[in-house]
Amino acid sequence: MSDAHVGPGVRYTPYANPTYRRRDSFHRGDQTRGNMERERKPPEGGMEGNRQEGTSRTWFKITIPFGIKYDEKWLLNLIQSQCSVPFNPIKFHYEKMQAQFFVENASTAFELKKVSGKICNEDNESISIFVSPSPVPYFEQKEQKSTKVKLIKKTKIKEYEVPQQALDLQRLHSDPDVMSHDIEMGPNLRNCMAVSPRIHEENMPKVKSEGELDKVKGLEPEEMCADRNPLCTTFPDKSTNISSILELFPKLLRLDDHEVPPSIIFGIEAYKKLPVCKGSVFGSETLKNLILQFLQQYYWIYDYGDRQGLLVAYHDEACFSLTIPFNSEDPAPSSLGEYSKGSRNMKKLKDSILRVQLLKHTKRDIVDFLSVLPKTQHDLSSFVVDMCVQTEKMLCFSVNGVFKEVEGICQARVCAFTRIFIATPASNSSLCIVNDQLSVRDASPTVTQGAFSTPVPIPSSSSVPTISQEQQEMVQAFSTQSGMSLQWPKKCLHDSNWDYTRASQIFRSVHSEVWEFRPTCNQGPTRPLHEVIHRPDNKNSKGAKVLAIFIILVVLPLFSGM
Amino acid sequence: MGFSEAGRHSRMGDKPIWEQIGSSFIQHYYQLFDNDRTQLGAIYIDASCLTWEGQQFQGKAAIVEKLSSLPFQKIQHSITAQDHQPTPDSCIISMVVGQLKADEDPIMGFHQMFLLKNINDAWVCTNDMFRLALHNFG
Repeated sequence: MSDAHVGPGVRYTPYANPTYRRRDSFHRGDQTRGNMERERKPPEGGMEGNRQEGTSRTWFKITIPFGIKYDEKWLLNLIQSQCSVPFNPIKFHYEKMQAQFFVENASTAFELKKVSGKICNEDNESISIFVSPSPVPYFEQKEQKSTKVKLIKKTKIKEYEVPQQALDLQRLHSDPDVMSHDIEMGPNLRNCMAVSPRIHEENMPKVKSEGELDKVKGLEPEEMCADRNPLCTTFPDKSTNISSILELFPKLLRLDDHEVPPSIIFGIEAYKKLPVCKGSVFGSETLKNLILQFLQQYYWIYDYGDRQGLLVAYHDEACFSLTIPFNSEDPAPSSLGEYSKGSRNMKKLKDSILRVQLLKHTKRDIVDFLSVLPKTQHDLSSFVVDMCVQTEKMLCFSVNGVFKEVEGICQARVCAFTRIFIATPASNSSLCIVNDQLSVRDASPTVTQGAFSTPVPIPSSSSVPTISQEQQEMVQAFSTQSGMSLQWPKKCLHDSNWDYTRASQIFRSVHSEVWEFRPTCNQGPTRPLHEVIHRPDNKNSKGAKVLAIFIILVVLPLFSGM
Repeated sequence: MGFSEAGRHSRMGDKPIWEQIGSSFIQHYYQLFDNDRTQLGAIYIDASCLTWEGQQFQGKAAIVEKLSSLPFQKIQHSITAQDHQPTPDSCIISMVVGQLKADEDPIMGFHQMFLLKNINDAWVCTNDMFRLALHNFG
């Protein structure tokens, strides 16, 4: 980037208070135009003076986003250095974070627009310039108001014939009263004459110059016919003419009997697209596997097992909180909402919107609470995970996704959730949750439709043939011992040929080899805010560990594709 | 006051300290963001990390640059829910769910997480995670 852009001796410090800007004329915060005006000498011809026939004064507002960072003189010089025509910035001022000024003809505005992105600041960041047609600025309006009023009265008296849905611009143009006053035909005049933006062919104006084109700018026509008329602009070739017409009249749908393809329509709209959801952020492959494994297991127990099995996942002094924003006037509240209504911890914050926040401390309280929440089915394929913090002692990540309520009055209701976990890494690549924040909200209809599109491979009970009474009892016993629901023990026993001992042995043998949810994090760092009391790890039942191993054996093969 | 006692009193009316700090921070943050987000540098430090829609930015300067260069001029946040918890290392984790409107775009839901740390008696944000609530998951 050439040094020509940088003024001599001017240092650009974006995060410091700007010292080079004239303080006396600048205030941060909300500014009205009144505060910020710099009086400028009006161009030759002046606002008050008489104007020559044919010169146009169509106003365009030029906006430089974040222009507040730049010194006025520096910025204008920079723009001029890249602009192919000289321009006269009128009423330069800062408004909030932008720099703004006006120019008074279309060609200049068009050239300025081309400069956007071609200029850079000291840090090599490109500076954008936005150009938009402007109604007559207020400082002009003061001058024109009196003249306009007279003109409207005069033209009304003349009783223009206004064909239905059309405006005869030709007649307007030849009206000496209109043409002798260089007034943009703004909305006021349009209303007076009941003008529609569509211009019929037979009434096409004979436009002699782009200057004259500017005169009808305020009408925002949707159809124009420029090639039937000797259209002369400042540009030498036809395509540039067309481009400039299209830029000045963004709402044009048809030009010269051709439909204007949408891509030619410029404007700020092109920048505004609904962002596409970006995928998960893990930081590393190892972390990704660790977290995904954790989530798979956590939610398998949560959705299909006994939630008491989650005790192994939490630190003794873990914190959990649940936030449900919901509307009490909602005709179909979710089960969570139903549950929360009866809770003592309800906080009424606004008249119709109740926000429920429940804070649980200690893993026993947490798991007891989780166990009474409605039964759910989470869509693991919908999970978007963000790894926020990774240190030796702490992992913090968030999970966003959807789940379905599978029982109760709100069956099949889809909810969206955000869950933030803070966990300490424990031995054998396990995780121990110390903080768990859950926020649940209704999913939008679009989300509901898209959710659960990937079939979840749940081993259904139909894959296991009907079992005998004795086998039922085995399943029951296994379930009690392991703390799992009946489905899993059934499958495990079935795979072990209904040999109870063998099934248990499999667990025990695997238990010593494979990762387990062992909360060695109980010896974690002291937490002044928590007043942690160190306790030996003797609370977790063997069954819970067995459960975890079993999940790994069954779950991981099913999710090998994730 | 330890958490155990504080936890027992965490009902309507009594606000534990992490909630007070968390909600003040949230209020301050969004006020600053909506009015002039170039001023947000004060709440981050050089070790701060921002995850913005899957992109990661490290350090105060990079974070402020990212936020300042977001392609909208006007922005308004409306908080639907916020939640605060103390963490093992005396930090505060704050979660925010809400809606935002940028310029003339349609209103969009968002969620954001802040990890706050006390450094020299001032609470700064060491981690910031922002996600729009969009319907095209994964």
